[in-house]
Amino acid sequence: MQQFANPARFLKIANVTLPYIWAITAILFAIGLYGALVITPPDYQQGETVRIMYVHVPAAWLGLFVYCLMGFFSAVAFVYRHPLADAAAKTAAPLGAVFCFLALVTGSFWGKPMWGTWWAWGDARLTSMFILLLFYLGYMAVWSSIDEPTRAAAIARIVALVGVLNVFVVKFSVNWWNSLHQGPSVIKMGGPAIDKSMLWALLTMAVAYTMLFLALHLVSMRSEIAARKLRQARLVEIGNR
Amino acid sequence: MDFSAAHVSYVIASYAISGICVIGLFLYVLLRDRALATKLKHIVEKDKR
Repeated sequence: MQQFANPARFLKIANVTLPYIWAITAILFAIGLYGALVITPPDYQQGETVRIMYVHVPAAWLGLFVYCLMGFFSAVAFVYRHPLADAAAKTAAPLGAVFCFLALVTGSFWGKPMWGTWWAWGDARLTSMFILLLFYLGYMAVWSSIDEPTRAAAIARIVALVGVLNVFVVKFSVNWWNSLHQGPSVIKMGGPAIDKSMLWALLTMAVAYTMLFLALHLVSMRSEIAARKLRQARLVEIGNR
Repeated sequence: MDFSAAHVSYVIASYAISGICVIGLFLYVLLRDRALATKLKHIVEKDKR
């Protein structure tokens, strides 16, 4: 793990692996979307509306997973003070925020025909997911509002770690409180409640979203390293004047 | 997919918004990466001179 934390080595590995990751992402999206829109059957209760699940569930999983990843990188940065760990957390935030936003919007499009409402503030899953989006936005606001990177990183780490607690609230909200949102149906005791004819397309889309995140995160980290080098070069230029 | 089924417009809207957001994110990340790489290249070339 330590050997990947060297920026030069990281860039070398990222540049070699990225074309393969892009190719796998494109293939998985092609298979997943074809499965979601053409092959899989409509649900016996929800009808065609069930197809929203293939974009809603992967986006929600990624929204939660990316925040956990930010928490992990922030904890690593706290302990080892490694600048690449902060860069990894910082660059993951906008990607996770988009997935979280998509989960909320597509969830609303599912809720209107199924529950009869776009949104319910009293619902623990919906509200805690919205709070997660606010954590993402708050985390990004810290980085963009503080000019000194070491100070911004120190505060951003705290925001990321506190926000991880909310991820647990999102995950278990359907177990702890009565919710409009259905309970866990894929990762649960006794196996998934979704039929195999739909499950394969859902899992393919979930892996496709994860690969997309991985590719975008590697590119974002490459950009962040370039931005830091540019900042350093500017500081040297100012110092030489 | 049966396009004449009930509530199908919600499905189309969900896929459209997901597509727009994902493609937008993809373009933002790649264009930013390219712009920063070009800037860095100019600085390196300037330093060499």
